[in-house]
Amino acid sequence: MKAAKFPLAYPTAGFGALLFVLGAMWYAASSQNSAAIYLLLFLLTSLFLVSIPNTLANLAGVTLRVESAKPTFEGDDVFFPVEIMNTSRAIRYGIEVFLPAPGKTRERVDCIPRKSAARLTLRFPAHHRGEYKIDKLHLTSCYPLGFVRASKRFVSNQSYLVYPKPSGNSQLPNNDSRLVDNSVQQGVGQGDDFAGVRGYVPGESQRHIDWKAVARGQPLMTKEFAAETKGAVCLDFSQLHFADVEEKLSQLTLWVIEAERARQPYGLRLPGVEISPALGQMHFHSCLRALSLFRA
Amino acid sequence: MSMSRNTSTSKSSIKRDTTIPRRPLLWMAAALLFTVPPFFDSLAVWVPWLFLFSLALKFWMEPRGYRLRSVILKLLLVTTAVMTAFFSYGSVKGVEAGITLLVVLASLKILEAHTAREFRVMVLIGWMLCLCGFFLSQDFTTSLCLLVAFALLAVALIQFHRGAAPGALWPPLVTASKLLLQASPLVILFFLLFPRINTGLRFELRPFHSANTGFSDRLSPGSIAALANSSEIAFRAEFPGSSTRPSGPMYWRGVVMWRCNGMEWRAPYEPRPKTSSNTADIAGSHSLTVQSPNPKEIQQRITLAPNGARWMFALDRPVKSVPGAMLARGEYLWSFQPIRKSRQYEVVSSESTGHDITAKERSDALEVPGSITPAVRDLAYAWTMHNRDARGIVTSALQFFRTQGFGYSLTPGEYHDLEEFLFRGRVGFCEHYATSFATLMRLAGIPARVVVGYLGGEYNDLGHFFLVRQADAHAWCEVWFPETGWTRVDPTAAVAPGRASLDLTTYLETRSISGQMGAGRNALIARLLRSGVVTNVRFVWQTLSYEWDTRLIAFDADVQDVFLSSMGIGSRGPLFLIVEILLIAIALLSAYFAWMQLRTRSRVDRVKAMYEYFCRKIARLGVPRDPSEGPLDFAQRASRSLPNESNRILQIVDTYILLRYAPQPAPGMLERFVKEVNAFSARTRH
Repeated sequence: MKAAKFPLAYPTAGFGALLFVLGAMWYAASSQNSAAIYLLLFLLTSLFLVSIPNTLANLAGVTLRVESAKPTFEGDDVFFPVEIMNTSRAIRYGIEVFLPAPGKTRERVDCIPRKSAARLTLRFPAHHRGEYKIDKLHLTSCYPLGFVRASKRFVSNQSYLVYPKPSGNSQLPNNDSRLVDNSVQQGVGQGDDFAGVRGYVPGESQRHIDWKAVARGQPLMTKEFAAETKGAVCLDFSQLHFADVEEKLSQLTLWVIEAERARQPYGLRLPGVEISPALGQMHFHSCLRALSLFRA
Repeated sequence: MSMSRNTSTSKSSIKRDTTIPRRPLLWMAAALLFTVPPFFDSLAVWVPWLFLFSLALKFWMEPRGYRLRSVILKLLLVTTAVMTAFFSYGSVKGVEAGITLLVVLASLKILEAHTAREFRVMVLIGWMLCLCGFFLSQDFTTSLCLLVAFALLAVALIQFHRGAAPGALWPPLVTASKLLLQASPLVILFFLLFPRINTGLRFELRPFHSANTGFSDRLSPGSIAALANSSEIAFRAEFPGSSTRPSGPMYWRGVVMWRCNGMEWRAPYEPRPKTSSNTADIAGSHSLTVQSPNPKEIQQRITLAPNGARWMFALDRPVKSVPGAMLARGEYLWSFQPIRKSRQYEVVSSESTGHDITAKERSDALEVPGSITPAVRDLAYAWTMHNRDARGIVTSALQFFRTQGFGYSLTPGEYHDLEEFLFRGRVGFCEHYATSFATLMRLAGIPARVVVGYLGGEYNDLGHFFLVRQADAHAWCEVWFPETGWTRVDPTAAVAPGRASLDLTTYLETRSISGQMGAGRNALIARLLRSGVVTNVRFVWQTLSYEWDTRLIAFDADVQDVFLSSMGIGSRGPLFLIVEILLIAIALLSAYFAWMQLRTRSRVDRVKAMYEYFCRKIARLGVPRDPSEGPLDFAQRASRSLPNESNRILQIVDTYILLRYAPQPAPGMLERFVKEVNAFSARTRH
């Protein structure tokens, strides 16, 4: 992660108010020719001036590392774990991470002890599907007085994926465009008979989460119910009859999730992209990735 | 880099801006308490109490989540406050009313504020209150309070920005002290050099109702006794240079009163300066005193406390006027402007009194009101009968006071006229004796006048100055003899012989009539104040206070001009000074930044640095280390590629591993490692 060599200092909103107070003091001092009021004026001025190098130095030796974010569905929040490392031999206070580009996110750590790191999560809503880059991040701090804000720019090459919003009909399409043979197999996912639990797949319906297990402190698990399922299903963009491309993508996304949950092999056919039927996390994410990056 | 994940770092919640955190609020409350004392002295009584009440109420409300939400209620409160201020002062103009308004609005703001952003506003309001405090008073105690308040506000702000970081008491205090320490050179720089431009915006402060302290231009029975319990400072006097403190009692001349009305005397409302012929005479008498056998000229540096009046004090008889004042008829200093802030001046006094008297002065000094009763006139005529010269008459009069059972008391009782005092009451304070003696002298045909000022003063060993308090106020007489001119006669000395050499409190104590100094408790406190340690503390405090007044408060725009001229940069103009200050300030701030960065930069690991140096050497020989390659793997690979150096490489890496991972590396191993790495490079270069 590339960082600007020197932090820059900007005045904050409080600076205007401070200027007003300093102006009042100056007026009072010069009109009264009073040394005591001049002393007060110069004390406050000097305190402010000295706070500038202090604020700048508060960022010295502090670096930032953005970790990779998990893909999110449109409408959900993107969570970016960030690690702030303090390599200096001083405690750093009031460090904020500011992400200007999507949605002006600001997160704050009150204190990072010397030679240690703090973690926080940048959270912002994912508006549209696609792949986005986080390029600019700012590490800022206005400690100790808050009249100036020191800001150090970091350039990151992290990117994040936003999958289309799953919506539409959750019933998997009847396999007109069957890819594999017609053989009937025992499918897991939809049905009435409890077949066990497996890890929760982000984006899928929360109806089947094993909440009792969550309450016991276990990770999110989805209960599966067995039913008879037919063979692999092909999810075909061209077969859908919505006018809007995004709507089609949303429907396909929902089906991908449902098919994965039902453990029914699925394939995806988009104009220019074809993914042959399979199951599993890798396949699941590559399908969603294709949907998210789709250009009409 | 060894990084430990710190899981305990507290992260503030996303919705931060809803409550003011408690710890900064506590600091803020402490700071605001320190801004209150000056308000108690000079504002209407309800104002500081309202301020304290709203501060307390805020602390009661904040943890309970109560808030001042209703706009109507807020408007109602503001209107009530403004109306009350208006009715207290009669107007909202004027400094006291303005400050009252500000304090009241600040109180309401404290009640109302409940977001983090408003906390900053409150700190700024606190700084404004410090400014208001300086408007009301600039004496040392108040200033100290206000400066403490200033610093505590900075602490509150620092604590606020620290958030939930551990440590509530010392860390923010230490940070604030560091900041103030770093700021101090800048403060001094600004204070000395920053051009104090007179913007032409000067506004005259209205006199405060409590501003007039000390005696008035009217001397009547009881007017000086009323000051006897006042410990307020009148002025401080130093004797700079070689001139030592005078040996005898110190009579500080304040004002000369000519107009006699029996027991009440008055000073001229607009005193006339000494006439030009007189000034010439003064010059003459001046040269005469130089030639005379005891040419005692005493130089003094007087620091006057603000008193709202125009008297300026000097020992015995000032010889020349001082800037901003004139030498009035009767040879006392009279300021052109009322003294509303601490003022310092140097004055030269002479022990010998003026020789000359004009016809006008003589007639003025002999004027007697018609209301004097025959008994009093007969007393004076009797003295003129028995004595041939003026000195004899004075001696007789003093003899009269000494022998006829006159008493000295702070609470002499009421007298309607001179006769009642001289023949029936016979208990009085200095003003009774001074006025009656001067009147009697006039009746006896001797020109006489009353002088009001101070007698004595407390010597401060530490600061080498005399502190004269209002309690030292005194009145005495001057009579004119043809041989010696105006001569001081203190009739009080005839009645109470020890008084002149002691200050009043000590005198009254030695006479064991301290019961008259108010209650007995006061006497106890007075005795306590005189005990060893307390006296020392008091002297230190007085000295600090004196330094504050003479060095800091006195350094106003005019003194700065003199200072700049003495530095040789007086004529360069304000722009030059500002540029110069800016350059120095920027240099200083950069130095601070560099120093702070250097001080906190992580130390370079020498072992690591040497190992990296070694790796670079090997890379130059054609075997670059892969970033993920451990030292052992790298050593083996390198020694395979460079069989000539294999032993050396393996040995260096062995030492490196020992230094890195052995629980306790042998002493001297690091030096050996450094030597080996350096030798390696030397060998390969050949």
